Amino acid sequence: MNSLYAPALLLLQDSVFDNMRQGVAHPDLSKFLIIGALLFSIGVAGVLTRRNIIVIFMSVELILNAANLNFIAFSRYLQEQGSVNAVAGQVFTVFIIVVAAAEAAIGLGLVIALYRNRETIFVDKIDLLKW
Amino acid sequence: MVLSGWESVFFWVFALAALVAGMLTVMARNAVHSALFLISALVSVAALFVLLGAEFIAGVQILVYVGGVMVLFLFVIMLVNVSAEERGREELFNPPAQTTAAVCFAALIVFGFFYAINKSAGQFARTEERPAALRTARGGQLPPSATGVAAISEDTQRVGSSLYRYGALPFEIASVLLLVAIVGSVLLARTPKQELSADDIDPEVVEELSAAGELTPAEIEAAAHAAEV
Repeated sequence: MNSLYAPALLLLQDSVFDNMRQGVAHPDLSKFLIIGALLFSIGVAGVLTRRNIIVIFMSVELILNAANLNFIAFSRYLQEQGSVNAVAGQVFTVFIIVVAAAEAAIGLGLVIALYRNRETIFVDKIDLLKW
Repeated sequence: MVLSGWESVFFWVFALAALVAGMLTVMARNAVHSALFLISALVSVAALFVLLGAEFIAGVQILVYVGGVMVLFLFVIMLVNVSAEERGREELFNPPAQTTAAVCFAALIVFGFFYAINKSAGQFARTEERPAALRTARGGQLPPSATGVAAISEDTQRVGSSLYRYGALPFEIASVLLLVAIVGSVLLARTPKQELSADDIDPEVVEELSAAGELTPAEIEAAAHAAEV
């Protein structure tokens, strides 16, 4: 199975890259956590920078999914450690998905009510309470 | 937990797909494109769930998120017309100062996470390198899959029994939460006309709306009559 990476391995023959090559060829828990952290940060950047409130909601979904990925990765890690209740992470993920669905329904209801009243979905135009 | 062979190829493909789709979700000009990129990000994360042996969660993710929540998003995007943003007349992001501050904040979060992960890196390393799917099967009691490469995991069964044994109360609370969300979103999305016919509207608002011509006197009369009956 090592031949699969043959082109990449040739580039990374140097022993300095040995650790990195090991990390790329054999991703472990930390790689999943890093992917989760990056997804989370993309979501945070989306929430903080976009003006369209619907896209902000989508970024929140991205954040919740990053949390789900961490939960599942740790659940898998605990399974292999022989933990007693190792699927707790997966059960928690089910609840996160439920709450995300409820949040999306309420949030989009608010967006529709907002659009009916203010004719806009840009967050910086909704400044009725701004002093 | 160490992946090897095709599993790591699978991991990198879907991890990069999730990250790229996430970036495009945040950066797309058209909100519909944003939603479609978010769908591909969610599907990629579901693929990572399969890789981690959580087939049930992956299925729930596809069914609930992609099948339910994202369809709702697309409905609302098409209900509220945002064509000004698409045509480039409206600014996509907040003013530059705010955007820079936000990106710096996100970068700080990334560095914090990386630092924490680096700190604990050695603790997660395990030396055995069997394919992860084989490890889930306990002592060969479970049947092998059709391809014979991996065994069917007992994951779904364990999640179900854990959900109904240890998580029974949160499960019930979650169902009540969903009920509240249904009722709440129906209430929030009503038009003034529907509020009037349900006799659930402030008289001052009725006066304002009839002055603005949004409610005709005939409609108000009909609603008042309906409320009496």
